[in-house]
Amino acid sequence: MTDKTLNAPIIQARHVDKTYPNGCHALKKVSLDVKRGEVVVIIGPSGSGKSTFLRTLNQLETISTGAIDIDGIELTDSSTNINKVREEVGMVFQSFNLFPHKTALGNVMLSPMKVKKETRAEAEVHARELLTRVGLAERMQNYPSRLSGGQQQRVAIARALAMKPKIMLFDEPTSALDPEMVGEVLDVMKGLAQEGMTMVVVTHEMGFAKEVADRVVFMEEGELILEESPDTFFESNHPRLNRFLGQVL
Amino acid sequence: METQSSRWLGHGLYLLIMAILISGVYFSGQRINYTWHWERLWPYIVNTDPQDIFAETDGTVVIDEKGTLSIEPDYGGDPQIVREYTTLVAYDGDLIFQGDTLARLEGWRFGPIAEGLWVTIKLSFISLIFSIILGLIFGLMRISHRQVMRNLAVTYVEVIRGTPLLVQIFIVYFFIGTVFDLDRFTAGVAALSIFTGAYVAEIVRAGIQSVPTGQMEAARSLGMNYVQAMCYVIMPQAIKRTLPPLAGQFINLIKDSSLVSVISITDLTKAGREVVSGSFAPFEVWFTVAALYLIVTGALSWAIQILEKRLSASD
Repeated sequence: MTDKTLNAPIIQARHVDKTYPNGCHALKKVSLDVKRGEVVVIIGPSGSGKSTFLRTLNQLETISTGAIDIDGIELTDSSTNINKVREEVGMVFQSFNLFPHKTALGNVMLSPMKVKKETRAEAEVHARELLTRVGLAERMQNYPSRLSGGQQQRVAIARALAMKPKIMLFDEPTSALDPEMVGEVLDVMKGLAQEGMTMVVVTHEMGFAKEVADRVVFMEEGELILEESPDTFFESNHPRLNRFLGQVL
Repeated sequence: METQSSRWLGHGLYLLIMAILISGVYFSGQRINYTWHWERLWPYIVNTDPQDIFAETDGTVVIDEKGTLSIEPDYGGDPQIVREYTTLVAYDGDLIFQGDTLARLEGWRFGPIAEGLWVTIKLSFISLIFSIILGLIFGLMRISHRQVMRNLAVTYVEVIRGTPLLVQIFIVYFFIGTVFDLDRFTAGVAALSIFTGAYVAEIVRAGIQSVPTGQMEAARSLGMNYVQAMCYVIMPQAIKRTLPPLAGQFINLIKDSSLVSVISITDLTKAGREVVSGSFAPFEVWFTVAALYLIVTGALSWAIQILEKRLSASD
C-alpha cells in the first residue's frame, strides 16, 4: 500500500443530494471526507438530515445526485456490489434492531456464518471474544427481550464488529437508552475509537463529541454548516450552532 | 380479580350447562321416536366380516401342494392366483364362472368411513403443503418492489377470495381438469390448494409486514442480501406471528375439503352420505362424521400450539 492510498480518505462524500419522492429535500450538497482512524461526530437538530446522511454511507438510503466513495469503491456505480461494501461498514442503530429470535451469541454469529461462510465453531469463538469485550460474557445465552437497553446496544455493537468492518456508523446509539445506561455504551465506543476504528457518530452527547471526536460536524436543514475540530467547534460562535447548543445544553 | 374458588365455580357451572345441553339433545332424540342403532355403524368403520374372493374369469380351479389356488382361464390369458385365504369354497378341478366365490378371507379391514377419513386426511395434508408453497410465493410477490409482481399477486388473491370454493372446484375439475387431463383427486387438491393459498398469501404478507423495518435494515447493514435477510431474519419472526391465523386457515382447509365430494371424491363426507343410504342410521353417521372431523382439526390445532410454545422461547 502506498502512502497515497494510506492517506486518502476512507470515506469521500461529494455533493450528496437527496430529495424524497414527496418533495422533501433531505440533503443539500453535503460533502465530507473521513480519514482512516478518524472519529467524526455529527450533531444537529432533529430533521436536519444527519441520520439520513449517515444512512447514505451504507446505502440504506439511496441518493439523488452526488457521489460516495468508500475505501476506493464508488457506491453509486451500478456495478458495485453493495453487500460487499456493507460487510466493511458496520452500523449501530438507535433502536438496537437486535434479532429477537436469536440469543445474544446467535445475533453476533449469524452474519459471519451466513455471509462470510465461517463455520459455527469459528463464528462462536469470535463472537464470545467480542461479547466479552463489550462486557457481556455473562449474558451470551440471553435473548434480547431479557437484556436491558444498554446491554442490547452493546450486543448490537459486537454484532456489527463481528463482520470485522473498517468503518463503524453509529446512528444516535444512546438516544433510546435510560440515562444510567448511556455511559456503558459510550465506554465501548470510546474503546473502539482508541483502537483506531474509523467512526462516524450521529449523537446528542456533547461530552462524547468533545472528548473523543477528531472532528465535529454541524448539520441543519439538510446542509452541512460547520466542520471543525472539537476545540474550535464549541468556541466557534456560529449563530445557528449557538442557537442549537442553547436548546440542548 | 378471579380467585381460585370462583374459577372452580365457573368450571362447575360450565359442566352443568353442558349437561343440560347434552341431555336436551338426548331427550329431543327420544321424542322424535328414532331408534338409535350405534352398533350398525361399526362395520362401516372397521369391517370384521369374512371377505369373499370372487373369480375374475371363467376357468378351471387348480390347487397345488402348497395350497395356492389358481384358475386356468378357458379363453387364454394369465391365470388368477389366490394365495391368501382362510377357507376354500371351490375344489380342485371345479369349473368356475366369472363372479363365483372361490374362497373366504377372515380378518378385518377398514370400512368406508375409515377409508373416507384417510382420503380426507391425505387430501388436506397435500393441499396444506401446496397452499403453504403458493401462499409464500404470492405473499412475497405481494410485497415485491416490482409492480408486475404486486399486480399478479393482488389479482390472484382477489379472484380466489371473491369466488366460492364450490364454484372453483367445478371450474378446476371440469375445465382445467379436462384441459390437462387431471384425475379427481388431483383436481381436488389443486382447487383446495389454490383456494387456501390465497388466504395464506395474505397472512404471510401481514406477517412479514408486521416485522419492524429496522430488522431488514440491520440484516442488510451486516452484508446479507435480500434473500438471506428474508430467510434468516424476517421469515423466522414472521412465521411465529402468523402461526395463530395460519392454524385457523388450515382448520378451515380440513373442513372445506368436504366440498370435494361434489366431484365424487370419496372423502369422509361422501363416505358418510353413502353409509347413510346403506345403514339407515343417518343421525349416528353424521354425529360420527362430525366427531371424526373434530378429531382431525383438534390434532392439527394441538400440533400448532406445540410449535407456538417452542417458538416462544425467545419471548
